[in-house]
Amino acid sequence: MMSRMTILGSDVREGLDASIEANPAGFDGIEFIEYSTPQPQALGQVLELLGFRPIARHRSREVLLYRQGGMNIVVNGHRYARPIDEPLETPQIAAVAFRVKDAAVAYHRAIDLGAWPVASHVELMELKIPAIHGVGTTRIYLVDRYKEFSIYSVDFVPIPGADPAPPAIAGLHWFGLVQYVAQGRLDDWTVFYRELFGFTALPDDERFGILPKGRILRSPCANVHLQLVGPEPGGAELYGAERLQRIGLGTPDVLAAVKTLQARGVEFHVSETLHIEEKGALTRPWLGGVMFELVRDPGAREKK
Amino acid sequence: MDTISLAGPLDSKLRVIRDAGFTQVMLSAQDLAGHPDGMEAAMRSLKASGLRVTGLQALRDFEGLEGALHAYKVDVAKSLLDMCRAIGSPVLVVNSSAHAQASTDRDVIGRDLRKLAMLALPFGIKIAYVALSWGRAIRDFEAALDVVGRAEMPNLGIGVDSFHSFATKSALDDLDLAFGESILLVQLSDFMVAELPSLKDRIATANHLRVFPGEGLHSELVAELVQRVTSMGYRGDYSFQVFNDDYHQIDPATVAARARRSAVWLGEEVLLRTVPLRLGRPLRA
Repeated sequence: MMSRMTILGSDVREGLDASIEANPAGFDGIEFIEYSTPQPQALGQVLELLGFRPIARHRSREVLLYRQGGMNIVVNGHRYARPIDEPLETPQIAAVAFRVKDAAVAYHRAIDLGAWPVASHVELMELKIPAIHGVGTTRIYLVDRYKEFSIYSVDFVPIPGADPAPPAIAGLHWFGLVQYVAQGRLDDWTVFYRELFGFTALPDDERFGILPKGRILRSPCANVHLQLVGPEPGGAELYGAERLQRIGLGTPDVLAAVKTLQARGVEFHVSETLHIEEKGALTRPWLGGVMFELVRDPGAREKK
Repeated sequence: MDTISLAGPLDSKLRVIRDAGFTQVMLSAQDLAGHPDGMEAAMRSLKASGLRVTGLQALRDFEGLEGALHAYKVDVAKSLLDMCRAIGSPVLVVNSSAHAQASTDRDVIGRDLRKLAMLALPFGIKIAYVALSWGRAIRDFEAALDVVGRAEMPNLGIGVDSFHSFATKSALDDLDLAFGESILLVQLSDFMVAELPSLKDRIATANHLRVFPGEGLHSELVAELVQRVTSMGYRGDYSFQVFNDDYHQIDPATVAARARRSAVWLGEEVLLRTVPLRLGRPLRA
């Protein structure tokens, strides 16, 4: 009989013994992260402060593609993207697109294991990207065309004059995402990402950034981290609904990145408990709650 | 208490249950699907009642099927999970399959339960797997715990239905194989005959002539079961899984009063609590 302890124990062992890591879905990183917002221009300004540049516009919807270095962010002002009819003032992370070896194979495998398919609203001549339900109202897209062929060249029109490959500021790259989970749900979500994508839990003493709470799951390609954060034991449910709460940006030198970003107008969170440190920093929230976390991370790890 | 013990439409069941002093209700999917004004009206009634939902029952004959049958059952499961989400039910009760074509291979059963738990996982719903005493492959605690262990999902556990364990004389000792946290629900009932040797007897009694705990011939066993799961660390809910044809032709308020007597018996005499008993809450300190 399996107990909670055994589930944790096996995760920790897998995390320690990375040589036997499996990559059942052929996971290979994050292709894009999508926000939905009724104020796409306001969010676009925030992204530009952080060094992202608008490079393309969707053919049929109010959707813009922002890019810096290897990171793509899709800002969706279209009504389909909103989880509920009422517009939410604060932009929400609505989706994350995972790169996988074969999207169809990964999709059908996930459905066979009990993932929920998401119906897509594809217009004529647009790319149908398979997606499954993620946390809360979010979706997880599965993308396999990221090497020879760009998914954006089908659905998006380049913005005239925009550099299609703006360089990253201060070596910024995807570090991962922070997901808020409800009380008692750490194990559930650990199993979800482990079963569907081969993520493994890191030991409790392996932490990144300045907010070490919760549990960190690492992708089988070793470059994407999901930090699951639940409410404090005995505390009130301060976090609201389960969701993807913020993006973690990796940089080899946090202090240099902070300096560069401050010069561009980015403000960082400083309080009695939270500082700008070599290991990480947290931006002040924009638009009622959009924030980004910087994490010291040298960049692409070797696959173990 | 469970709506299945009462006659009448959902709205009057909820009123009667609340008026009897209970704060929680175990719902049948039929209560919602069969509401004369539709599902949304059912959900409004539920919300207005102020009763907390203990769980929703029941998904049947799910595991061990293949091909089109499996796909069909997955669709049914998804509809019931959608219903759980809509009414805020934390638990979906799943009965072990009695389908003649269901596989008896425990690895296959475990795999299907794993998939079901994965379907429930994003929404924070737990799956309580109950061994029916006439199930095709899974009929007792030992078997249920074994397949739940094979499935290995944090939101999957067993539901303990006292009727089935007493009917098969399923040893309560087998429950010790479980950790407290792998029991997600305890459903209590009693019955008035000493033995149920045949499957036919079991099915007939289970579906038509159960009584509330303390009213039948097996009160001591009910008491022992409750004490045992409590000492194992079970801190979840109890519900009265009482199917009874006679109760369906008696004033629901009278039936709810019997349920209340049973809850008081359980609280004061079995768990040795002093009044006031918070009826419908988990019967614990």
